[in-house]
Formats: sequence, C-alpha cells, structure tokens
Amino acid sequence: MARFNLYDEEFFPSPWQHTWRTFKQSHIAMTGLILLIFFSLTAVIGPFLAPYDPVEQNTNSLLVPPAWFDSGTIAHLFGTDAVGRDMLSRVIYGCQVTFGISILLVIIAMIVGVSLGAVAGMTKGVRSSILNHLLDSLMAIPTLLIAIVIVAMLGTGLVNSMWAITLALIPQFVHGTRDFVRDEMKKEYVLAARLDGAGKSFLFFQSILPNMIELLVVQATFALSTALLDITALGFLGLGAQPPLPELGVMLSAGLEVAYIAPWNLAIPGICIFLMVLAVNLVGDGLRSAVRKRMSS
Amino acid sequence: MIRYALRYLNLMVLTLLVLSVVSFALAYWFPGDPLTNLSGIQEATPQTERFLAEKYATEHNLFVQYWHYMQLVFSGDWGVSFSSGLPLYDEITLALPATLELCAYAFLLSLIVGIPLGFIAGLKHYTGTDYTVLSLSVFSYSIPAFWLALILILIFCLQLGWLPLSGRINLLFDVPHQTGFIVIDILLSDIQNKSAALNDAFRHLVLPTISIALINTAITVRLARRSIIDVMSKGYIIAARSRGLTNNQILWKHGVRNTLLPILPLIAAQITTLITNAMVIETIFSWPGIGNWLIQAIYQRDYPAIRAGMLAVSSFVVILTVSIELITRLLDPTRDKNERGTI
Repeated sequence: MARFNLYDEEFFPSPWQHTWRTFKQSHIAMTGLILLIFFSLTAVIGPFLAPYDPVEQNTNSLLVPPAWFDSGTIAHLFGTDAVGRDMLSRVIYGCQVTFGISILLVIIAMIVGVSLGAVAGMTKGVRSSILNHLLDSLMAIPTLLIAIVIVAMLGTGLVNSMWAITLALIPQFVHGTRDFVRDEMKKEYVLAARLDGAGKSFLFFQSILPNMIELLVVQATFALSTALLDITALGFLGLGAQPPLPELGVMLSAGLEVAYIAPWNLAIPGICIFLMVLAVNLVGDGLRSAVRKRMSS
Repeated sequence: MIRYALRYLNLMVLTLLVLSVVSFALAYWFPGDPLTNLSGIQEATPQTERFLAEKYATEHNLFVQYWHYMQLVFSGDWGVSFSSGLPLYDEITLALPATLELCAYAFLLSLIVGIPLGFIAGLKHYTGTDYTVLSLSVFSYSIPAFWLALILILIFCLQLGWLPLSGRINLLFDVPHQTGFIVIDILLSDIQNKSAALNDAFRHLVLPTISIALINTAITVRLARRSIIDVMSKGYIIAARSRGLTNNQILWKHGVRNTLLPILPLIAAQITTLITNAMVIETIFSWPGIGNWLIQAIYQRDYPAIRAGMLAVSSFVVILTVSIELITRLLDPTRDKNERGTI
C-alpha cells in the first residue's frame, strides 16, 4: 500500500525492514521462503491432513505406483511401499520428524554455541586461547565419526544420533559468536556502555546480542541444512531413526531394497529432502546477500 | 616463523593428547569389559587373561594404564578386531588409503571444475552467466550426496550398464598392496594387462568420485566467485587499469593470486566435509575404505575396531587441518588470525 505523504517526510526503514525489502527483490529467495513456509506448515498441520496412518500396513495394495502412472490409483497419490504403507502419509509424517527435529537441534546448538562463544570472545589470555584453539581443531572431526562413537556407546536410536548432530553443529556457532563479539568489544558503543558501568552479561545481552541476531539467523539457516542432511544420512545408514518411524532417510534405505521394481520409493523421499535443503539454502543465501547489501549501502 | 610452527605444533600435540585420552576412555565407556574392549580378545583363557591384564596394566591406576595403552598404540599394537580377529593396525592401514584416494580425486576434481567456474561467474557478476552458475551451485549443494549416489547407480549401473556397481577393481586383477592407492599400485606392479587394470580401476572410481565431489565443487565455486568480486573492486586493480594494463594482464598478474590466497584455507577446510561424505558414499558403493569399515564395525558391535578407527581417523584429520593452517599462515603472513573469507 502506498504511504500517504502529507509532508516531505523521509522514510527510514528499521534494519529489519530494510533487510526484508532487499530480500523481497530476489525472486529466487522468495521462492525458497514460500517452499520453507510450505514445509513448516506440512510439519505442523500435515499429520491432520494425512489420508492414512504412516505405519499402517495394507497387504492388499503392495507397491502401488503413484497416481500419475497408468496402473496407479488416486487413493494412493504417491503410491505405496513394499509393505503397503501409503507414501503420501509417510512423506508428510517424515517432514514432521526430519524437519521438526532439525529445527530443534539447531536451536539447542545455537543456545549452547552462542553462550560458549560469548564467553570465549569476552575473556582474554591463556584460558580463552586454549578453549578456542582446541575447539578449532576438534571441530575438524567428521560428524559421522562422532555419531558412530556415540551410537556405539548408547546404542542406535533417533535421540542418540541427535546428540551427535548437536555436538557437530555447536562449533560453528561458537566460532561466529566469538569472532563477532571480539570485533564488537573494540567498538565505541560498547566502550560507552562500559563507561556507564555495564557488567559483562548486561553488555552482551543489551548491546552486542541485538546486533548479532541477523548473523545468527543466517548461520542458523546453514546449520539447518547441515542438520537435515546429517539426520537423513544417519537414518539412511541405520544409525539414527529406526525403521517403522517415518523418517525420510529411513524411508530411502527401505526404498533401496525395491529400487529396481519401484523407483518411486527412492525418488519421492529423496526429492523431499532435496527440496527442503534447497529451500533452506535459498532463504539463507537471500538473507545473507540482503544483509550484505544493507551493510554496504 | 619458528614461533608459528611451534605454536601450531603445540596445538596439534594438545589436541592429539585429548583424542588419545578419549580413545582410551572409550574402552571404559563402551558396553562390556574394558580389557576385552582394549585387546579385542573375547573368551580368553585364564592364562591369556593374566597376560593381557599385565600387558594393559589393569591392576594399576588409570594413569599407568593410559601410559601402557599409549606405548602399545605407538608400537602399532592396537588390539584385534572382534569380527575378523585380525590386528586392527593392519586393517586400518589397508582401509584408510582407499578412502584417501577417493578423497584426493574428488578434491582435485572439485578444484579443477570449481575454481574456473567461480572465476567466470565472478568476473561477469550479476549477469546471466553468473546467475546460472550460482543457481547450479545452490542446486548441487542441496542434493543429499547419498541420494545422488543411489540415483547415479540406478541410471549408469542398472539401466545403462556402463559402469560397475561396487568395489574398487574387478577381482580378476590381482594387484599387490604397496601404497594403498589403487592407481599407483597398478602402475608400480608388474601384472599383465596393466592398461586394462587401470581402465577398470578408473571405471570403478567415476561414480563415487562424482558423488563426493559435487558438494565441494559447489562450495569452491561460491568461494572463488565471492573472492574475485572482492579483489576486482580493490584499489590496486583500478591502479593497474589506469596504468593501461589489459583485462587479461590484470587478471593474471594481480587477480588470480590475490583471489586464491584468502580462500585457500577455506577450500582446504572442506577436506573434512569431503572425508565425511566419502565415508557415507563408501557404504553405498561397497568401497573398501575406512567409512565402510567403521559402519560395518558398528553393525557388528566391534568395539575395539571403533576405538582404533576413531583414533586413526580423527588424528589424521587433526594433523591434516593443523598442517594446512600452518602452511597457509606461512604463505600469507599478513593474514589476520581471525580473518575468514565468506561464501
């Protein structure tokens, strides 16, 4: 809606509005956002709309092809799998499991990572350098290895694989926060607050954190795409979620057994993961370039 | 320079110490008897049990035990596997090079394809070419690597039958083990039909390499693009242009070097992503590498194998990353420690 302008008033958008305006101009990023909203809605209200129970086996309709094949029926839009479970319902529940858990993991990793990073960025001396460098080099250890060790200790299961992925996600938040906090501590607005007698925690929450939110959102989107890929990979390898649970990676490994006679069992969960990760990456990219443009203008 | 080298050496030793302590602790954290988890010998007779208890010093306190464990690790006695009963050291030195070979080719491929593409996109930024390359790269790093591998298998192995499905080389070729890198082993060996064996090894390599390299290529493209956009807007480029240098001269004399220097550590840091992906892809292609070996170990609850494999892979990765950091630091001393490039 056009703004009614009585006076020659200049309009100053807030930083968030500014970023949103730049973000909106990119059609690709907007497509990603719409996809992301679609998947979020599917995860929240999808289970109410799903036509069948995701674990209900129906021996009368094994390996029915999707509806767009000649032999497919509209009763099973995406067909059925090797034990007659409806693919559409499984994919909907799979979105909930995979997507929902990934978001949860990213939030946990963000809280832990930001607190550690804030401590590392605000302290000086040997303690902080040991914390930083040790973390730097430990970060290099592959996620899969951490997952294997944790699964060997605690046994397979979704919750155990979640620990591994959270552990693997934390370092990048620590890095980002630590570097940002260290840079901001040298700036004048922080100095002003310190001259006013602000303590360290006040300084962090009131002065630095509001400036860091954008950076965190961008980092969180990339962490989310990593989490999605890791959860599905672990599910696929049988180290994460276990078979009856409709998790997209588990569905892929089940589809593998019938890949030759029923390729849709492999294609549909795969495309679903791909679209999810793509949506998250597009939004993250759009946000990052919008923030960059705002900073440089 | 020596100060830097010492500092990184210090860091490396400290991290390896942590890793070795963790690997020792794993024997206690894993289910079952710690002594069995350390030695890998199940159902030992009382006599062997006494021998093992003395070897691992289980009567003494944890520090002494750790000291004995480290001595054994350095002497190459890592225990035996539950499932095969073979020494773990031998199994790991067979499996790790296979993974490294795969990673090395994938890394090379991602550099050869990624850097030129990134340069092209960056030099023509905000044009059609740039957007095409960028969207392609977003697409390719959103594809789950293991799914891509499955699709490639479906198309090229099952439908078209062009490429072999699994393994490293056809079993008809008997290549003696020397370096662990199959291509080098074939070149060093004196078997008949060397060229046929090479051809076969390459055909086995194609699909796994592509599946692993795709994500890294996409990231390399974006790193190179962002870096060259930043460099080409710098003052010294404008100065060079005002001196009358042609675009080509500017690119080759000033552009390429200054573009590659800041992204070198970032590209090198991708090696760990590469190893993770390789470990997943190996299980799909039955590649006899460390990832496949570790996954099999977990299916069979082979705790000594997981302990030793974890120590070997993580130590390797840590030594690799710290050395890369040291090298990039020595190549470019002006770089601030905390400065990182962006995508």
